[in-house]
Amino acid sequence: MSVSANDNNTKASLRGFLAKYSVLIAFAAIVIFFAVASPTFLTPANLFNVLVNNVVMLAIVALGLTIVISSGGIDLSVGVSVDMASMIFVMLLAAGYSGVVGVAGGLGAALIVGILNAILITRLNISPFLATLGVLFIGQSTQQLATSGGQPIYLTSGYAADQFNAIARTALFGMPTPVIVLIVLAVAVHLLLHRSVFGRYVQAMGAQPGVAWYSGIRVPRELSMVHVLCALLSGVTGILLSATVKSYVPLSGNAFLLDAIGATFIGTTLSRERKPSVIGTLLGVLLLAIVKNGLLLVGWNFYWQQVGIGVLVFLVLAASFGLRRAAH
Amino acid sequence: MQTAKREIAVSMTGISKRFGPVRALEDANLEIARGSILGLVGQNGAGKSTIIKVLAGIIKPDSGSIVINGETASTLTPASVEKLGVHFIHQDRLLVPTATVGEAVFLGHEIGLGPFVSRRAMERKAADLLKRFFGMELPAGTLVKDLTTAQQKVVQITRALAQKASVLVLDEPTAALVKREVDSLFDVLRRLRDDGIAVVFISHYMQEIEKLCDRVTVMRNGTDVGTVDPRVTPIDEIISMMIARDVGEMFPKRAVELGAPVLEVSNLRLGGSFENIGFNVRAGEIVGLTGLLGSGAKEIVQCLFGLKTADGGQVRVEGRELSLSTPVKAVRDGIAMLPEDRRAHGVALGLSVRENISLASLRRYSRTGMVSRSSENQAVDGLIKELSIKTPHRDALVRELSGGNQQKVAIAKWLSCQSRVYVLDEPTVAVDVGAKVEIYNLLNRLAGEGAAILLLSSDLLELVGVCDRVLVVYRGRLAGSFSGPAMNSDALLAASSGARSNADGVAA
Repeated sequence: MSVSANDNNTKASLRGFLAKYSVLIAFAAIVIFFAVASPTFLTPANLFNVLVNNVVMLAIVALGLTIVISSGGIDLSVGVSVDMASMIFVMLLAAGYSGVVGVAGGLGAALIVGILNAILITRLNISPFLATLGVLFIGQSTQQLATSGGQPIYLTSGYAADQFNAIARTALFGMPTPVIVLIVLAVAVHLLLHRSVFGRYVQAMGAQPGVAWYSGIRVPRELSMVHVLCALLSGVTGILLSATVKSYVPLSGNAFLLDAIGATFIGTTLSRERKPSVIGTLLGVLLLAIVKNGLLLVGWNFYWQQVGIGVLVFLVLAASFGLRRAAH
Repeated sequence: MQTAKREIAVSMTGISKRFGPVRALEDANLEIARGSILGLVGQNGAGKSTIIKVLAGIIKPDSGSIVINGETASTLTPASVEKLGVHFIHQDRLLVPTATVGEAVFLGHEIGLGPFVSRRAMERKAADLLKRFFGMELPAGTLVKDLTTAQQKVVQITRALAQKASVLVLDEPTAALVKREVDSLFDVLRRLRDDGIAVVFISHYMQEIEKLCDRVTVMRNGTDVGTVDPRVTPIDEIISMMIARDVGEMFPKRAVELGAPVLEVSNLRLGGSFENIGFNVRAGEIVGLTGLLGSGAKEIVQCLFGLKTADGGQVRVEGRELSLSTPVKAVRDGIAMLPEDRRAHGVALGLSVRENISLASLRRYSRTGMVSRSSENQAVDGLIKELSIKTPHRDALVRELSGGNQQKVAIAKWLSCQSRVYVLDEPTVAVDVGAKVEIYNLLNRLAGEGAAILLLSSDLLELVGVCDRVLVVYRGRLAGSFSGPAMNSDALLAASSGARSNADGVAA
């Protein structure tokens, strides 16, 4: 194709198009790449597996972090909330309590983690980074103390346990139950963050905390709510995790932390306003999950998968920045 | 090369500088002569500090040329400017508080051997210099933070002289000084002038300019509009040059019938800041509040918005007694605040015009916790139009707006709340003259609609022009209440510096 002066306009609009849809284009490119590289990648069974095992639980934790990061803070203790909910849920079920009690207990445990964070941040004025780091340390030790050095707890039998496992593995209206849970929570968090009064306050605190305070917003109260919500969402993941694997493995929640932070920030970078958003976060989670699963299918081992994810994150972000600049 | 009459130390010609859409300097010129004191005046935003920052190498101009002591300076940096003998005494004390006087005088030019500094040598030399230049016996081992503001200024000047300064630029050096200290500072500056040093003196106080300066360069809207001799040209004329219109036009007068007291303050007290403060602001009234740095005026305003909690006293709004411990309560009780630091507290630059305007009144535009975009948009569009906020659309980021329009967004936020009491803390700082007049008009309209307005300002011209009454705070107490013909900048200045008090008695 020859380039003439008349093509300048077309080129500019093409660049604009690329910049606008860079995320989707990157997605499509990655999906096509893996579809070609691995015959099993696009099969329904694999996609179902990616969705349930790699996307849902990570996404729910990332939703919580999206709220926290929108408020200008961070929560390093999401893994502790996951684990605490998982531990109490499994302990209650193992002791013969009903599922309702188990779920309530699990969420209650996560709630305590959230309240602890909120107190440290809003009452003692500790920075969110240090406060939640401290809770992370304490939470990890607590689990080891409670499980005689980190012994997993298995749900071998019992009505409630089997029922939950069944729910976790069945489908409702053709959708796996955990996926439905995610959709409901994502819609709820989206409305909360982008449509509600509370969400506006969160955005204002994240944009300029001084302005929020000078506008008469109850900053400590709203900030407490932010951390409690994040812990509760992480707790939901903890319960889904235990229900899926019928056990509680100490410290397993930590695996979510970096992926959830990564997904949220990828979402932030890809969004037009450079702000955390539910849609951006979900895209970030999908991107990470697809890349992980794809690399596994083409035969890379765990360690090389990590390298691959790192490189891909760089490439996607660099392409997004480059195209954005070119569009200006 | 050398002209007999006036030797030019610094010559800046055709300096232009833009910040995004804002034109800070446009073809501005500044000429500084040796052995003379040049006053630099202009409204906030006229470009005074920008052109000084260009000379200081802090801001890079878009165009223009700078000649210092006969040498064309192409790229200036703060370090290279000092090497050329141009020194700056900035408004905020840029001294390390925990340094000794000796260390402060030789900061950046330490005396010593290799990497080791000799504090004793520096202190001895600093004491010598202080004695020689100012006849001042100051133990050079004293910590900077233990000095008075005037002494700190002297230490800064000594630092410049120790580096063989040939040009000395002072930005608002008297802002925090009492009268006696101002006089001794002026003596120092006159002596320096007689020694052949070029002095640039930036001040808002026209009386000081008249007293001290040999020439005055007036800046307006980013350019120099004239250089005059203040002993020949009357002050009123210089002020007219600054604002490009008659003083009367700058401050649109209004006739508002005053209503019942809306804000009533009595016996307000804050340990270490102020005590026994009592005044009223009536519906439709604009009351000014002024005082030097540290006088307590600022703290009074902070207590009224719950940013600080008063130790005692009562604050009533429309007869209801308030407990002002946080801004949350102040906002709920109908008090609006326009903070001095607009970027930190007034508007969120990263949020849209719409999000900023509705931030304090979201409950009005929401049902069951969800924001109704249609009613929010309607209200925001109305306010954008009403205040003629210049923004491309309601969803533009506030960052993209000019300073004056950002300030209007901050005001719109409270209009949206329908607040009854407006507390304004230096609302026209860093706002251009045109937007200033719009803000004054806005205050008049708010007053016309029955709001009670308390205006904290250090711009005496503004206070006299806008207010019905001005309260002066001196050392934590109300030193006077001025209205009518007694309300003039001379009287306010005198009361602020403790020279005179009670023109028409402290208001009950």
